[in-house]
Amino acid sequence: MDDVIRMTRAQPVHLVVLALIGLVVLVGMYSSDRFATPLNFANVQDQMVALALVALAQTIVILSGGIDLSYAGALGLLTVVFASIAGEDPSTFAAAVVAVLALGAFIGAINGGIVTFVGIHPLIVTLGTSTILSGLALLITRQPTGSVPLFFEDLVYGRFGMVPYGTIFTLVLYLLAGFLLWKTRFGLRVYAIGDNEQAASISGVPVKSTKLIVYALSGFLAAITAIYICGRFGVGDPRAGVGFDLKSITPVIVGGTLLAGGRGGVLGTLLAVIVLALLANVLNFMNVSSFYQWIAEGLIIIAAVSIFVGRKSK
Amino acid sequence: MSEPVLAARALSKSFGPNEVLKGIEFEVHSGASVALCGENGAGKSTLIKLLTGLYHPTSGHVEFNGKQEDWSSPRASLEAGIAVVHQEFSTIGALSVAENIFLDAEPLTRLGLIDRKALVAQTEALLEKLGIHLAARSLVDDLSVADKQMVEIAKALRSDAKVLILDEPTAVLSQNETRHLFKIITELRASGLGIVYVSHRLDEIFEICTDITVIKDGVVTSQGPVSGYTHDSVIAAMVGRELGNLFPEKPLDREPGEPMLEIKDLVVEDTLPPVNFEVRAGEIVGLAGLVGSGRTELALAIYGANTASGKVLIEGEPLDYRSPSNSIDAGILMLTESRKDDGLFLNSSVARNFAATTPGHGVHPARVPIGHEEARAKVMKERFGVVVDNVGLPISALSGGNQQKVLIARLLENRPKVLILDEPTRGVDVGAKSEIYKTLRHLADEGMAILAISSELIEIVGLCDRVFVMRDGELATELTSQDITEEAIMSVAAAETPTHHGVASNG
Repeated sequence: MDDVIRMTRAQPVHLVVLALIGLVVLVGMYSSDRFATPLNFANVQDQMVALALVALAQTIVILSGGIDLSYAGALGLLTVVFASIAGEDPSTFAAAVVAVLALGAFIGAINGGIVTFVGIHPLIVTLGTSTILSGLALLITRQPTGSVPLFFEDLVYGRFGMVPYGTIFTLVLYLLAGFLLWKTRFGLRVYAIGDNEQAASISGVPVKSTKLIVYALSGFLAAITAIYICGRFGVGDPRAGVGFDLKSITPVIVGGTLLAGGRGGVLGTLLAVIVLALLANVLNFMNVSSFYQWIAEGLIIIAAVSIFVGRKSK
Repeated sequence: MSEPVLAARALSKSFGPNEVLKGIEFEVHSGASVALCGENGAGKSTLIKLLTGLYHPTSGHVEFNGKQEDWSSPRASLEAGIAVVHQEFSTIGALSVAENIFLDAEPLTRLGLIDRKALVAQTEALLEKLGIHLAARSLVDDLSVADKQMVEIAKALRSDAKVLILDEPTAVLSQNETRHLFKIITELRASGLGIVYVSHRLDEIFEICTDITVIKDGVVTSQGPVSGYTHDSVIAAMVGRELGNLFPEKPLDREPGEPMLEIKDLVVEDTLPPVNFEVRAGEIVGLAGLVGSGRTELALAIYGANTASGKVLIEGEPLDYRSPSNSIDAGILMLTESRKDDGLFLNSSVARNFAATTPGHGVHPARVPIGHEEARAKVMKERFGVVVDNVGLPISALSGGNQQKVLIARLLENRPKVLILDEPTRGVDVGAKSEIYKTLRHLADEGMAILAISSELIEIVGLCDRVFVMRDGELATELTSQDITEEAIMSVAAAETPTHHGVASNG
């Protein structure tokens, strides 16, 4: 039992998030009969895949004691590059996938390299790279550009029964990430560095290379997200990443992962993504302005962290 | 004589212009245990960091098994067989006991994944061998400080070490746990390990060490087999002066003054009994106890920085609403434990630091005339003997002792009635210590009430008129005048209680 709790990184705060999910669903059912339908739930899932993917990347970075704000620029550049290369042909599509995944990992490695070897705070480094990448994307194109093959769009929009393939793909990635954090040396290193970098270093953990890999992995996951976004929209948009820098942090925090690093896990992030997507959906049904959605989201962030803090300093 | 397993040869280390270690010669032989003695700040920790590759020497070198080594990282020295139990806990709270002990040396399956079953089995076998009763799967966050230390020790011994370095390993252990550690050390020596043992507790050194090396101000002042030493000769080599000179004379026959600070039914934590005591004018009262015994928490509660229920009275007047700013207004001033975290504005000048909390008479805090702070700081410099050429220099350029003097001088600007000092001489050289002690005694003589927390027993014994020994958040006993001895304090502070143990808490 201990192991199950440790493996899933289940925390009391997750019960709160689960209760919140239940509450939102009840409100949704009360406010519209079209809410609790397989079609609507499939829509909600489509809405949350991209956020779920970047939030997964952000979770791993934050667990290691860092932060990655480069998604805003990176997603824009990566979608533009992807859609420009992919075209309609399966062979150029394959080349685009490989190129963009490599580019994403490279961008992440640059972030990680500056953070570890120059010793600049990741907040500053990734804010800087994000701005550079936005600039590059807009230099390539001011307008959405390029295209993706039809079969890929079919795949992205495809559903297994009423479950979008995107959901299945996301769940598989979360499972893999959970596995990585629990079953590999790399995973334990991430927690150790995030908890106490000095102690980890003294214990012989290769801090620098681990951090480098964390950021490269973050960039790699951003590339996967970019490819997915291209599949949704059929084009590459230099502004595709706008807002994803801060949006990616919200589910991590609401899911109980400590911003300081070392505590938390991917399960909480997934639950938080679900609650945020459902909330937006229900408020839409209630015809509430999206500005109220922002207010609600903000309240949830603060409430979630308050619960966490309250529990620690009781 | 056989070749030493680990040695330092003319080892020196400088940080900027600061030479911390100068030409250290040091040897550990297989089966021997060498005590490394010295005051706080003498350079012991730096030497250990050099021996293990966390720092690189400025000159000289480290020898391991007769070969010159320049460790690229602590990992390299660890793999070669130098295990360290660090003073600062290097346990990872987010990981389990097993994950901590085998951090980055976890048993792997053929696929390169962590073999969790083997990890737990190896941990249990190791703990069993060492006689440490802890559950392999429990989270280190949930352990007591003493148990965390046992995890550290197990971790150091997870592989076949040739040298084991223990840095103040017993600081948080009870007597029984210390006994147990000594048994482990004796067995390890018999099996051929070389031990380096750093401790302030001389009794321990005479009990389990074969050799002694004393470092003072970065230089080896004395070295040899333990049989050639007595307590006094070790202390003399450490401080380089008689103990009597370090501390000002205590006014033993003086009548204590009126109560200045009275603590009534102060409850710091719900589970603890209320605390009652008083500090009288002209008295220096010590709060002794192990790290984690609740001394700092109590002091912060009195100062109003931590919430607590109960009453605090100043000259018989209760403080209605307790907060640091109200305490300062009422005349309670506190010197916090960590001057870097809670005391200094490290990037500001000496003058600015000194004037930070009090702009001075007739000066509006928002409009401090140019040159005003400097002028005041010059006075401070003369009165407190702060050694600095230019009070416009950043305070980070000062030595620890001088920084501490600036902080104490700053507190006195508020004309306190009660002064609470948490580790007043931490990281301060002996000369500055002696001056700080003299200042404190002088302040008490002028009628101030002083409450001093210290982990250095010598300081408590040498400085205080009355001592409360804390244990597990309670005032366990009170000692006065001749009864204040290191032995008396330790016997209470480290006594076995049901909540302070080395046995698994969730089995």
